[in-house]
Amino acid sequence: MKSFFRKLLWLTQRSHREAELHEELQFHVEEETENRKEQGLLDDEARWAANRELGNLALVEEKTRAEWGWVRSEQVVRDAGYGLRQIHRNRTFSAIVVATLALGIGGITAMFSAFDAVLIRPLPYADAEHLVMIWDDMTGKGRSGHSPAPAEWLQWRRHNAVFVDIAATQPEDATLSGDSVPEQVRARKTTANLWSVLGVKPLIGRTFTEEEDEKGVRVVVISHGLWQRRYGGSPDVLGRKIAVNDTSYEVIGVMPREFYFMPARDIDIWVPTSFPPWMRINFSWHNAQVVARLKPGVTLSQAQEAMATLSRQVTAKDFRGPHSVVVKPLREEMAGKTQTALIVLLCAAAVLLLIVCVNVANLLMSRGAARGREVAVRAALGAGRGRLVAQFLTESLVLASFGTVAGLALAMPAIRFLETLIPETMGIVRLGLNWHLLGFSAAVVTASTLSFGLAPALRGSRLTPQDGLREGGRGTTGARSHWFQHSLVVIETALAVVLLSSGFLLLQTFERLQHTDIGMQREKLLTFETPLFRYKDFGQQVAFVNALVEKIRAIPGVVNAGASSRLPLQPMDPNATFYLLAGQSESSILGQVALIRVVTREYFSTIRAVLREGRFFEISDRRSDSPVAIVSESFADRNFPGRSAIGARFKFGELSEKGYWYTIIGVVKDVREVAIGEDRRPAVYRLHDQADQIMSGPSGFVVRTTVEPGSIVSAVRSAIWSVDKNQPIWRIQTLEEIVDQQLSMLSQSTVLLSAFALLALILASIGLYGVLSYAVAQRTNEIGVRMALGATSGDILFSFGKRGLVLTITGLAAGLVLAAITSRLMTNLLYGIRPDYIPTATVVSLILMMVAALACFVPARRASHVDPAIALRNE
Amino acid sequence: MRAESLSRVGLLQGTLDLLILRTLLAGPAHGHAIAKNIQRTSEDLLQVETGSLYPALHRLEAKELVAPSWELSEKGKRARFYRITPRGRKHLVAERSKWDAFSRAMALILNPVDQEAQ
Repeated sequence: MKSFFRKLLWLTQRSHREAELHEELQFHVEEETENRKEQGLLDDEARWAANRELGNLALVEEKTRAEWGWVRSEQVVRDAGYGLRQIHRNRTFSAIVVATLALGIGGITAMFSAFDAVLIRPLPYADAEHLVMIWDDMTGKGRSGHSPAPAEWLQWRRHNAVFVDIAATQPEDATLSGDSVPEQVRARKTTANLWSVLGVKPLIGRTFTEEEDEKGVRVVVISHGLWQRRYGGSPDVLGRKIAVNDTSYEVIGVMPREFYFMPARDIDIWVPTSFPPWMRINFSWHNAQVVARLKPGVTLSQAQEAMATLSRQVTAKDFRGPHSVVVKPLREEMAGKTQTALIVLLCAAAVLLLIVCVNVANLLMSRGAARGREVAVRAALGAGRGRLVAQFLTESLVLASFGTVAGLALAMPAIRFLETLIPETMGIVRLGLNWHLLGFSAAVVTASTLSFGLAPALRGSRLTPQDGLREGGRGTTGARSHWFQHSLVVIETALAVVLLSSGFLLLQTFERLQHTDIGMQREKLLTFETPLFRYKDFGQQVAFVNALVEKIRAIPGVVNAGASSRLPLQPMDPNATFYLLAGQSESSILGQVALIRVVTREYFSTIRAVLREGRFFEISDRRSDSPVAIVSESFADRNFPGRSAIGARFKFGELSEKGYWYTIIGVVKDVREVAIGEDRRPAVYRLHDQADQIMSGPSGFVVRTTVEPGSIVSAVRSAIWSVDKNQPIWRIQTLEEIVDQQLSMLSQSTVLLSAFALLALILASIGLYGVLSYAVAQRTNEIGVRMALGATSGDILFSFGKRGLVLTITGLAAGLVLAAITSRLMTNLLYGIRPDYIPTATVVSLILMMVAALACFVPARRASHVDPAIALRNE
Repeated sequence: MRAESLSRVGLLQGTLDLLILRTLLAGPAHGHAIAKNIQRTSEDLLQVETGSLYPALHRLEAKELVAPSWELSEKGKRARFYRITPRGRKHLVAERSKWDAFSRAMALILNPVDQEAQ
């Protein structure tokens, strides 16, 4: 503290101190002169000798001043001021540098904000890094996503040694009614220990107990959103009876606003699972999601190993044979594919920043050569090498700071765009400036200043004063500087090629997915859902659904309408079951899994599915003991390769004696039931009228229209309410919207990566152009001489053009090799589609060569138009 | 020649501070006198470069190991004299015992008398 004040005091006496130091050194020189004179030297000789002994007086002063402290920071301030003046003097140059930097810094800052939100920022659970999800590994491929059975959960919970506790949740849909308008909400059944596993507490009230769960007590925990929306945020909601699916439940707790949990952010109510006895022992009923908390000190791989062993023991006697499990960190499950996308995009932004730095380094280097004289003067006046480097770096830092401010301004709109990249499984995040982000951009600025500023600084300061000061000196050119700048151009070309190829691969994937045959006609198809729990009696349910369909069909502009137990393209809880073909023994059932759907008669003609064989459902297909089924093409291909599936019989779902034998009457081209990017999955469709053995009714409706689907929504609503005024409808979307949503992550990644790639291409060509123009400008004399000696302008054009093209081709080759490696790393993002690398490489090469040719041609042409007379007169 | 080469090798980092403080024990002196004194006392083996001397003096001043004052030299000119402070004396004692230990250790290693005797 004391020294701080002393320094502060010194600062105020600065000029006085300077004078003193000067006097002190002057005294030294005089004393030394006296000494020399006493030794017998003449006046002048003595003075020279004394001065020689002292060396560079300014440098001594400078070094001494450095001991006073504050000097470093003062220098920085002075250099920064000088940097500002430089920027002012070279406005065009500075604008280019700042704009380039802004692109690089803005890009990476925006990407980092999303990366931070999804992959770094803490999840709203206690010690979230200890949370994992457990999936069944039915295929043995270690892929997650296959739901475990509640029976498995019970065994795991009882016998495992690696988890503090394990919780399970099951899908549920809920209609709230009674107290006000009926409302359909997202719901989830959960075991009582979910909240203790996650380490969260309700905002008010409590969560249910293990006992309540087991006994099937009707209690419910609601979300903050629902509490505010439907119950006015009043604390007396606790204890209130609400009607969930027409059953009375007591509200016992409200979760805090920031709480959400898999599989969706907008779940509004949680009810006890209360597994029925059969579900506790049935290892075939796979519809749970399981989350567990690792014991302290247990690693993920230990847990994986222990659970794999345990799972095999548990399922040892299963008729399908034992299977393993996959243990995945919760964060990874939540981020899903977005994780890969974010990593790829962050890398792309980093590569772009690297190109930016290389480009700016190149620009600074060219200018550094022009500033050779200035540097020489400074060195002659006593600036040490370190001092010069510090000055160059400070100037770079000033440029970088401007670039950052501009970059942040650019990043803000980009960040808004990126908010939509946050996966649906995670909470809604407002991305924006925060300390993480500011810290990150500060680090980026420092790193980039060092990377683009250091090389020019070291090079610029290497000059010896004599060379620089010599009249007509040509600054710092030399073979070495060419070599260095050329490598920079090669590097940035290579990086640009990597980005371009990755962008093209993604574009290809996107194109292909977008034009994937989804087995339906996408245009003008309205979809919505309406719950059927109030029609528990099978006959009533059929009558209700058929009445709804008839009412909707009567709306003007509607061509046809139908319903399915699950709308197409729904990735969550895919609803699949085992099947057994006639004549097969029970053991062959392993791996025979098909999606199951219950549909109305007109469903297929409404979605415009394509019939491959046989027929669709007809009016003659009535409720009976020998029902019919339509199967997907992949089902037929798998089970009846090379022959007709029509007439074949199989059982599914209910495999016992009681189960019906279904007869196949038709084969349809695969309809994408789960996701566009997924492999085709075998599917079985049954007619609602005949599906009395199945629990789920056709609650997802599809309406084919001739008019804009959005325009009939209110008509559809009143049609439904004319049948039952308490019937809620929700998730109203067109099929095209569903498709867009599924592809949104990919389309956004594609847009971003393409933008990065385009910028990279532009920057790389500017770099190439800059280096060549600089070379032409510097060698004007030489060109003049060569032309005077008989070189044609064609020769000159060729010689410069060749140089540029050699650089480009080197960069291109290196880039293509790198890109081939990168594309391998991107396969996860490419939805397993293997894009053709060759056409990508060809297109990228062509584009690059074209742009590069242009970038080379302009300066080369300038060189070839040099007038030898003028060029030589300048000499 | 010999002296010059020695001065370059001889002045290890930090030793200059020690030499200056030791010189000032005899009484206040200005920079030039300090340099000459070190040179003379070391029998011309050590030559202090001005480029190191003044930064060192100002460094010691900043650490409050020496205190400056403007006084008249023997020839009647205004000169900046440095006086060792009590803190400087303490520092000198401490550094000196460190240096003694160091040079004893060096001597033991470079002239291993006992080993040769065996």
